[in-house]
Amino acid sequence: MLKIKNLHAYYGAIEGLKGVDIDVEDGKITCIIGSNGAGKTTLLKAISGVVKRFGSMLLDDMEIGSFTPRQVARAGITHVPESRHIFPGLTVEKNLETGTFPWHGFFSNASFTKELDEVYELFPRLKERRNQLGWSLSGGEQQMLAIGRGIMARPKILMLDEPSMGLAPMLIDELFEKIVEINARGISILLVEQNAHIALEVSHNAYVMESGKIALQGPSISLQHDDRVTKAYFGSLYKKK
Amino acid sequence: MLNNLIGLTVNGLAMGVVYALIAMGLILLVRAVGVMNFAQGDLFMLGAYLSFTFIVNIKLPYWLFVPASLISFAIVGLIFMAVTYWPLREASYPQAVIIATMGAGYVIKELAYKIWGPVALSMPALVINPETGTTKVLEIFGIKLQWQYVMIIAVCAVLIVLVFMLFEKLYAGRMMQATAQDKYAAELIGIPSVVTIAATYMLVTMVVSIGGYMVAPVFFISATLSSLQLRAFAGVVIGGFGNLKGAIIGSLIVGLIEAYATLQWSSYKDAVVFIVLIIVLIFRPQGLFGEKIADKA
Repeated sequence: MLKIKNLHAYYGAIEGLKGVDIDVEDGKITCIIGSNGAGKTTLLKAISGVVKRFGSMLLDDMEIGSFTPRQVARAGITHVPESRHIFPGLTVEKNLETGTFPWHGFFSNASFTKELDEVYELFPRLKERRNQLGWSLSGGEQQMLAIGRGIMARPKILMLDEPSMGLAPMLIDELFEKIVEINARGISILLVEQNAHIALEVSHNAYVMESGKIALQGPSISLQHDDRVTKAYFGSLYKKK
Repeated sequence: MLNNLIGLTVNGLAMGVVYALIAMGLILLVRAVGVMNFAQGDLFMLGAYLSFTFIVNIKLPYWLFVPASLISFAIVGLIFMAVTYWPLREASYPQAVIIATMGAGYVIKELAYKIWGPVALSMPALVINPETGTTKVLEIFGIKLQWQYVMIIAVCAVLIVLVFMLFEKLYAGRMMQATAQDKYAAELIGIPSVVTIAATYMLVTMVVSIGGYMVAPVFFISATLSSLQLRAFAGVVIGGFGNLKGAIIGSLIVGLIEAYATLQWSSYKDAVVFIVLIIVLIFRPQGLFGEKIADKA
């Protein structure tokens, strides 16, 4: 569905991505794992166009490598950013409403109750808190809200950046069940995670990143017990006891 | 005595809603762009001057004056944004934009001085007594009120409600609010922040300029009009910084205090306002309606 070839990204003069090739398959969960600073978040930012990037990205048959963030969002790729970035002063329901912007635009009167119901069905907790302000939610609820806002955009591909960050282990399990459920509803998912264990468990395909490059790739099952994954996290000097 | 008090209340409310317009503009800019606009009073003054030109110099009929002035106010807002915000939007110090607004304030003042001259201009009132040529007096139950004050309250109140509705009830307004709260997230969603920010600047300038036009007949039009901004600041702080409702109520309070102060200490009315401000700051530093400021949980 999304084929990325030789993608480079820059922060000023610093090269954050050094030629990355990735394939996000239709209807699958693709995960990107790797240690801190490996360039996982940069990859998502490069895809959505908020950092300077060069390279080819084919969404179905459309070349989106030079699209602005707005065009990328309209093309059907929704980025749920790291540390959630929900709107603190809007209520839960209005936060969700903002997610519809890519297909709704400023002035149309299109209804989004269907999407809203879908999100509330997925996350009943958000329905209970629909009139609360964003900042008053707990970390887990904020993450649900951020993902819910992403679903409101009717995405083809939902990119999730570190959804487990800062959550209690029990909540993480619950959240990843939801992610699988979202995927089962037909939304392809590109998941960036530091928590390799759970990411490999829920995903179909995996890529391991190391200093701005893909170090390893393959079906998630086969990577689950691969020593090279551990090496990518801890460096080549690490030896298994 | 009672009549007097009611008259003062009307005057106070009239000035209060004008301060509220200025204050609302301040808060909108703070929320939408993160900029404290120190040229707000000067835009206010410019609005009065521009209206004067349209009405007195060009003698536009009202049906033409309304759209012409609104468009020119919007253009002023765009220019203001293009000059003070756009070149500095990526500056490493966000204060740069704030300082730029201070500079722009001086430029606007000097420009007005150059164009309209140093002599204070007098603007005809909205409702004029045909015999005397001055503002008409409204008499209800023996209480005499100046029509201009009544009009100020009506027009400004409608404007305040409209802006409130735009931000709270309309989809587009919510997107503007969203951009104001988290520009990065808004960018990822695809909301064009340039558009919402430009819209905010235009809206704020329009609202403030209309305020300037409304009070122009009460005062003379001169550079000192811009000093009304100070009272709007006081209103914002009394009401609770960053809160639209608080800013409006705070400004009304300032207007009323000022009006009642004229009963006893007419020449010290400014001092009274700021003494109240200081007292509020001592006992309730977050302002009367200050809420806990939204933050990352």
